[in-house]
Amino acid sequence: MSEKVRAKVKDLLDSGRIKGFLGLRQADGHLGPHLFTDGRELDALAVGDLKRPGDTRYPLNKQLLTLMRCDPDDSFGVLVRGCDERGLKTLITWNQVDPAKVVAVGIACPPELAAACECLKPYPDEFVDGGKVEGSTFASVATVDALDLHSRLTHWLHEFSKCVKCYGCRDICPMCFCKECSLEQEDLIHTGDLPPENPIFHLTRAVHMAGRCIDCGLCNEACPADIPLRTLYKKVAEIIAQEFDYRPGYVEPGEKPPLNILGEAPEH
Amino acid sequence: MTNSIAELEDADCIFVIGSNTTSSHPLVATRIFRAKEKGARLVVADPRQIQLALKADLYVRQNLGTDVALLNGIMNVILTRNWHAQSFIDERTEGFDEFRKVIAGYPPERVAELTGVAASDIIQIAEWYAKAKAASIVYCMGITQHTTGVDNVKSLANLAMLTGQIGRESTGVNPLRGQNNVQGACDMGGLPNVYPAYQAVTIPDIQKKFQNAWAATTLSDKVGLTIPGMLSGLAQGSVRALYVVGENPMVSDPDVSHVKKALQKAELLVVQDIFLTPTAELAHVVLPGTSFAEKDGTFSNTERRVQRVRKAIEPLGNARPDWEIIMEVSTRFGYPMHYGSPAEIMEEIARVTPSYGGITFDRLDGPGLCWPCPDKEHPGTKFLHKGRFSRGKGLFHAIDYKPPAEIVDAEYPFWLTTGRVHVHYHTGTMTRNSPSLHAEMPEGHLEIHPEDAHRLTVRQGDRVRVISRRGEITAKVSLTTRVDRGVVFMPFHFVECCANILTNPAHDPIAKIPEYKVCAVQIEKAA
Repeated sequence: MSEKVRAKVKDLLDSGRIKGFLGLRQADGHLGPHLFTDGRELDALAVGDLKRPGDTRYPLNKQLLTLMRCDPDDSFGVLVRGCDERGLKTLITWNQVDPAKVVAVGIACPPELAAACECLKPYPDEFVDGGKVEGSTFASVATVDALDLHSRLTHWLHEFSKCVKCYGCRDICPMCFCKECSLEQEDLIHTGDLPPENPIFHLTRAVHMAGRCIDCGLCNEACPADIPLRTLYKKVAEIIAQEFDYRPGYVEPGEKPPLNILGEAPEH
Repeated sequence: MTNSIAELEDADCIFVIGSNTTSSHPLVATRIFRAKEKGARLVVADPRQIQLALKADLYVRQNLGTDVALLNGIMNVILTRNWHAQSFIDERTEGFDEFRKVIAGYPPERVAELTGVAASDIIQIAEWYAKAKAASIVYCMGITQHTTGVDNVKSLANLAMLTGQIGRESTGVNPLRGQNNVQGACDMGGLPNVYPAYQAVTIPDIQKKFQNAWAATTLSDKVGLTIPGMLSGLAQGSVRALYVVGENPMVSDPDVSHVKKALQKAELLVVQDIFLTPTAELAHVVLPGTSFAEKDGTFSNTERRVQRVRKAIEPLGNARPDWEIIMEVSTRFGYPMHYGSPAEIMEEIARVTPSYGGITFDRLDGPGLCWPCPDKEHPGTKFLHKGRFSRGKGLFHAIDYKPPAEIVDAEYPFWLTTGRVHVHYHTGTMTRNSPSLHAEMPEGHLEIHPEDAHRLTVRQGDRVRVISRRGEITAKVSLTTRVDRGVVFMPFHFVECCANILTNPAHDPIAKIPEYKVCAVQIEKAA
């Protein structure tokens, strides 16, 4: 699958359009993120096992942010799938990424991965490889919603009580770029205990994902306690979609999230 | 671990004793959670009601240092109710009759009195563990850091053999190792009595083997000193120099005041570390080592998996990889060493270490290999003791309960136990340099039951003096029912609030591991 991606990246590098391409590399028996700066090293470029969530899953957008902060004058390419593109668009909306300095090279996800992710749009607007697969609905949310209120509360309290407060969900999240994080405010969340304050810790994060989460699911895969965070944030996304008709990443860059619009100043 | 980490997912019963798994080994906890989701029964025995206890099908809180009694009680029930695996015992073990006689003295009612665990709970653990298709034991320092540490471990081995819960997938006796490479350090003979792969220094053939391998005229056939032996040797003058690599006894060893006096007596103290630790501050010479990111080599983890670590950056400042420092020191002492790379050292390891015989760098891409891996074609070993134990037959040990070395009394009425928290690692030399971890827990504390705190008229966050026969410290209190009445807990990561000023250096007669988990203290409200 990566032949077409490789050719596209080689073009971008050789033409000087980008200084480097942030993608995945197969090395030493592992797949990992890598910044390719030379067309000759592209043999090692890989896209991983696209059939299931797993080794393909790196927060390339997040690494792109770091890269662009270190080197703001240059342009970079980045490998994107549907979710990564949603992330990129949202980062542009939040003024974290200069769109003139980024070239996205898209691939579409195969049906297996799309289904496993319950992805609404498992392909970027433009892609050089893969085929368009219909999106799915959020079955995991429907399963939890079907529980009565008490069972739902029990379900989430049980899941959150496994948390080891590693901050893996936040640290891997491409949308978590704040310099100060509410999760670390002692006034909001008591420190020093395991599990972290339940459910405040996870609900604080869930609220902050409202209008922001682009449903990439990296949090879910990073969680060492297998907390179904993606389901939680999908639910938050559904509420925002219902109430405000807004889905982060599915709108064009620049369209502000509803919780960031102050509206008219009140009359005094 | 006799078995591998991922196998825990498919166990039907997991018995966790003396391991705060979510806090100290979170990725092992992942597997335990997954096993629970699949319907496994989880039993947790711990003097503290740890996070995992909240997820357990049965949680029991044994009195400090009563593990042998608890395990003997469980085994008594298994034998009385005929839940033991007689054919496994007949075919694969020896010493059963003598063991059985001792176990007969631990009916659950007596054990309930010794341990504080209800007889009905002891019976329930026995039933779930013995009757499970595959039951795993997971343990950690709560089992080993006692004057009866070896007895505790042997009792767990007895339990696994008695029920045939070993030598199969998802069973076994699984100690969780702490440091990323403590397993590797032991495998390489970083112990006073063995060469690599636990080959005893006292066996003449082994001595000859290493003399030949290292072109040495004579290697000692005497067992060396353990850490307590080195420290008392320094205090008495029989040890004059000490070379400490990556260890911080000024925070990690029991009775730190004594440790400090001993280290100060050294005519030469050399410390090799990545930070200037409290121990390094006492040193005559400090040699800067390299962090994980600055070196090539391997780490061997808790499931015996040998994994490559690859250098991400060149060593900073004057730091050099440990192997280069050791090579140069050795050369200057008159035994020249000339290794070109860690890969070359790995080749020598394979030559002299039977369990690493087939492990070379070119085989370590990807997930690595679990030893034993005796030859180049061997795929590594997922779980140990299949069909046969290393010594042939598994030996039952007849073990009686012995109380801890120090017991509470009128003067020192509180039991103190020490351990770890999720935010910090060991003596904090690395984690306490992290601003975010520091923010999560900036200082040490004493966990105390609210009723005890009430009697002492202290409230959450108040400071208390904690005094043992070795010394005293001041700490703020944290009120919690995680500990029982009469029991207090302190993490040992914090040098300025150093729990190991209080702990008892009494140690296990065989392993010499100190009794960090039990001592007696008095507590007073600080002025």
